[in-house]
Amino acid sequence: MGEQVQSMTAVGDVVVSGLNVGKTFAAGTVVALEDANFDIKRGSFVSLVGPSGCGKSTLLRLISGLIEPTSGKISVHGTPVEGPRPDISMMFQKATLLDWRTSLENVLLPTEINGTPSKADKNRALDLLKLVGLEDFAFSFPAQLSGGMQQRVALARLLQTGADILLLDEPFGALDEFTREHLNTELMRIVSEVGATTIFVTHNISEAIFLADQVVVMTSRPGRMAKIIDVELERPRPLSIQTSVEFNKLVLDVRETLGEM
Amino acid sequence: MATQDTISASAINGSALSLRNRRIAKHIGIFLALIILWEIGSRIGWLDPLFYPRPSNILRSFWLIYVANANVWFHLYATMSLVLLGWILGSVLGIGLGALVGFNAVLRRFLKPYVIVLEATPRIAVAPLLIAALGFGVSSKLAIIMLVCFFAPFINTLSGVMNVDEDRLELFRSMRASKSQILRKLVLPDAIPVIMAGERLALTAALSGALVAEFIQRDKGIGSLILVYTRNLNMSSAFACIFTLTILGFLIFKGMEKLDHYIAYWKHEDGRERMSLKRRRKIGGHSDV
Repeated sequence: MGEQVQSMTAVGDVVVSGLNVGKTFAAGTVVALEDANFDIKRGSFVSLVGPSGCGKSTLLRLISGLIEPTSGKISVHGTPVEGPRPDISMMFQKATLLDWRTSLENVLLPTEINGTPSKADKNRALDLLKLVGLEDFAFSFPAQLSGGMQQRVALARLLQTGADILLLDEPFGALDEFTREHLNTELMRIVSEVGATTIFVTHNISEAIFLADQVVVMTSRPGRMAKIIDVELERPRPLSIQTSVEFNKLVLDVRETLGEM
Repeated sequence: MATQDTISASAINGSALSLRNRRIAKHIGIFLALIILWEIGSRIGWLDPLFYPRPSNILRSFWLIYVANANVWFHLYATMSLVLLGWILGSVLGIGLGALVGFNAVLRRFLKPYVIVLEATPRIAVAPLLIAALGFGVSSKLAIIMLVCFFAPFINTLSGVMNVDEDRLELFRSMRASKSQILRKLVLPDAIPVIMAGERLALTAALSGALVAEFIQRDKGIGSLILVYTRNLNMSSAFACIFTLTILGFLIFKGMEKLDHYIAYWKHEDGRERMSLKRRRKIGGHSDV
């Protein structure tokens, strides 16, 4: 109980922040991201949405520490990002599972990289596979799973690290519409259950709004944060919420920002 | 619903099996017809019996070299022991150097022209030189076998190691994996199926290499046996040796296929199913501390 109260009071703390963040490629000739300023609060779900070339994936990689900013500063939990770190976990558009490992062994990979997995780690991995609905496929190999199931394994692996900041780069972008909607609903349930801060990159406007507390709209050439929109729709959100007036007002707002209306 | 599925599945299996049996029967029929044609042709003088011995004589030679004289076993052992040893040594060298060159960009740039020259030269042409340098005997034979079966594992390991999936590499980096972890847990396992394909080519090459070495040295082994029989115009025994090699080649192919299903298990349906069951039995479900 004491823990819960503490985490309640902690809601609202800034866990990821960026100050004048910029990134150029090809010796400064390509501006991928320009002058990004942001504060992301603990436990919130933030979507980055925009057309290709708007720098949304670049921003995600900057936060993860996989690449370094050309200018400005990014801080996570108050310390500057200087490379990949244990409090951040990342998921990609491709499941990037290892074909020679079972689902369970794939989920255990991050634990293995940090040391020898214990019985407790293994039990946690099995629990996570259950959480993503794959308890019957713990000993299956990726080639025996559908594309959607492979992404579920990747999702369990994302959570196995125990990191409290999750970065997802169009994680369900390669899946069909029905599977994607289903997995998005699951994702919302799971991240609220584990209480993680989530940054989600997508080029799908409805998906961005449906999932998020805040939508960051980004425009291209140069990549830039154009507007941050608060989504004050009640949770849990049913799929049908996407036909509501409030939801469509938000869609309109995003589209206007992108200059499509 | 379930029973219906099983019934239709077994019906499909049944018809597939009988189709397969009919195919096998057809092949055997054609084979026997060819053998009979050969036998008749040889008897009535269409074929020169000196160079194309009758199948019945070849059969008798099989009996002679395997049972009555039983002289082939010594030579078979001499050839196959060298083939296996040379293959293993050549492979270890090929895989090791392939991995080393694959990981080291400087070494790769430096060695590239030599690799191209080596690839363009038929390796077997160097065989007489090796014999001149190392003398007659086991060491020069082994060197020739190693030389001919070094290349496929080398090239395949090199390309397998270099073609690492960028997305997976990024995943490993995001998990803060060390260089050696990336090597052991990603790059090498990922290259195994390609390396295995190289090993298959290498083993076939090793057998050819051994035969050439034996043709030159004429001391022992199936290659020298074929040479001796041919010189004595004992063609039916020479044919029996050649068909022995056919069977060996087939066994090598099947053996390598089996090995591939074990080592690169995730590439094959049966391998995945076998390993999946094995892991389930070994690890099971939840366990207490």
